[in-house]
Amino acid sequence: MDSVPGKPQQIIEISGLQVHAGPRQILRNIKLGIPGHSAFALVGPSGAGKSTLLRCINRLVELTPGLRVSGEVRLHGRLVTGPGVDVDELRCRIGMLFQQPVVFPKSVFQNVVFGTRHHGRVHRRDWPEVAERALTEASLWNEVKDRLHEPALRLSVGQQQRLCLARAMAVDPEVILMDEPTSALDPRSTEAIEELILRLKTHRTIVVVTHNLDQARRVADWVSCLCVRDGVGEVAESGCCSDLFEKPQVGEVAAFFRSASRYAASVEGPVTPGATLE
Amino acid sequence: MRKARNIAFQTLAALCAAASFGVLALILAAILFRGLPAVSWRFLTEQIRLVGADGGIFFNLVGTLILMVTALLVSSPLAIGIALTHSIYLQSAILRRRILLLLYLLNGVPSLLFGIFGFILFVKYLGWGKSWLSGGILLGMMILPTVTIALVERIASLPRAYTEAAAGLGLTAAQTIWSVILPQSLGGLVTGSLLGLARAAGETAPIMFTATIFAGAHLPDGIKESPVLSLPYHIFILAQDSFDPSVGAKVWGTAVVLLALVCGLSLIALPLRLRIHEEARNG
Ligand SMILES: Nc1ncnc2c1ncn2[C@@H]1O[C@H](COP(=O)(O)OP(=O)(O)O)[C@@H](O)[C@H]1O
Ligand SMILES: [Mg+2]
Repeated sequence: MDSVPGKPQQIIEISGLQVHAGPRQILRNIKLGIPGHSAFALVGPSGAGKSTLLRCINRLVELTPGLRVSGEVRLHGRLVTGPGVDVDELRCRIGMLFQQPVVFPKSVFQNVVFGTRHHGRVHRRDWPEVAERALTEASLWNEVKDRLHEPALRLSVGQQQRLCLARAMAVDPEVILMDEPTSALDPRSTEAIEELILRLKTHRTIVVVTHNLDQARRVADWVSCLCVRDGVGEVAESGCCSDLFEKPQVGEVAAFFRSASRYAASVEGPVTPGATLE
Repeated sequence: MRKARNIAFQTLAALCAAASFGVLALILAAILFRGLPAVSWRFLTEQIRLVGADGGIFFNLVGTLILMVTALLVSSPLAIGIALTHSIYLQSAILRRRILLLLYLLNGVPSLLFGIFGFILFVKYLGWGKSWLSGGILLGMMILPTVTIALVERIASLPRAYTEAAAGLGLTAAQTIWSVILPQSLGGLVTGSLLGLARAAGETAPIMFTATIFAGAHLPDGIKESPVLSLPYHIFILAQDSFDPSVGAKVWGTAVVLLALVCGLSLIALPLRLRIHEEARNG
């Protein structure tokens, strides 16, 4: 059972995807379908290749020297892998949010319109409007509307991450890839990002890598679990969120869920009372 | 035993530091002591008279500034081009190392050889005669390694995440370079240039056959046969006449001005470098 069943409208289809780093294989024969207007979670043990898989979708892997990618990724049925594809155009349509917020050493405003201004599709006089819309969509507008021209690096890490989200959304992508977007954040900012995912998925498609299974349960409709087999990452099982978490069919997936929840309990259990102190 | 050795080592290191500072202080004191009395507003704003025994060094100062600005204009675009080729476009580690090796070699070329090369190429072959432009180009070539390596180090210290974030927004490679990589590594260009110029300002060998004369030049008005006066060459020539006390005072005075220029450039470069590093880290 490799692809998500029962959902016809798949925006992204991945098939036969392989990634090699030199002689070593990182991902083997990945097959996945990602339905539109929903949140899709990628979970799995660390080192299983979740980040690499995510970066294949917008072809950011190609910026890492030494990685070779083969296989197919389709967006709306159109092939986006291989030569002859306008990669920059593809990355406008598929935004990305990283584990650590990456804000440029510029003002808040300059950060939000950073992508927009370079695409040159929006007139300069409309940038403030774009910025306001994107910041509002990222639930940051109220916090920064009076400090738009302050350096963005003065914002808190959680605000910076939402700023990065706003920056991605200012370009109006239909898909947003998120690589462990909350693992560097405090509980409150984490909650804010999770609420955003829930809100955004009504009109965009979100693919989120997370090591936090509870987070996947909270935000995702579909989930795919990667596992390592003979040192190579593979999709072990995919499905509807509720089914997969309730009754994983594959032994490795069940084992991973058990160990992950044990780990979460050992980490979060004793800390919880103090962790949410504000 | 280990403690004694430690103390001995510390003492030795301190002695070495004291000795080098001592030499530096002696040179500075000697130059300032003899030169400062000769420096005055008139000295800086008048032109040379009586074959250097009277008057000032105005056009020497201007000439040296012209040479340095030209060197800057020559080296900056070349350094940016080489640094981008090295750090971004070249995938092969071997080629990258070769470029660095070439730069270090260029850095080791004695300045006299630059002068001879310039003499053959610009003065003779291109028939420019003595020209400010050949001097500027040669000094630009001389500081090129310093500038380029400062820039390369700066680019290498930029987090990859910036490039990925820009690419992830759909910027083309050229846009990423132009709006992310270059602005953030400009500090390397500035400090590298200042440090390079601080060294180039005092060089005589590359310009003495190619760009500078002792007296009789004002502002250049073309390329061919348009030499400039300069500070180091002034010192070089006058020093040979310095048994005459009025000339001697002018030599020391010129030395003070050159020293001030060079130290000034280094002093601007250093805090700037620290500040830009600071900014890169904290915003
Ligand atoms: N550029 C690279 N070169 C070599 N190996 C890599 C590279 N990037 C990732 N890998 C390897 O690929 C595997 C998957 O990495 P990654 O996608 O980051 O996993 P995850 O995000 O699931 O933790 C890891 O074992 C990692 O060591
Ligand atoms: Mg990862």
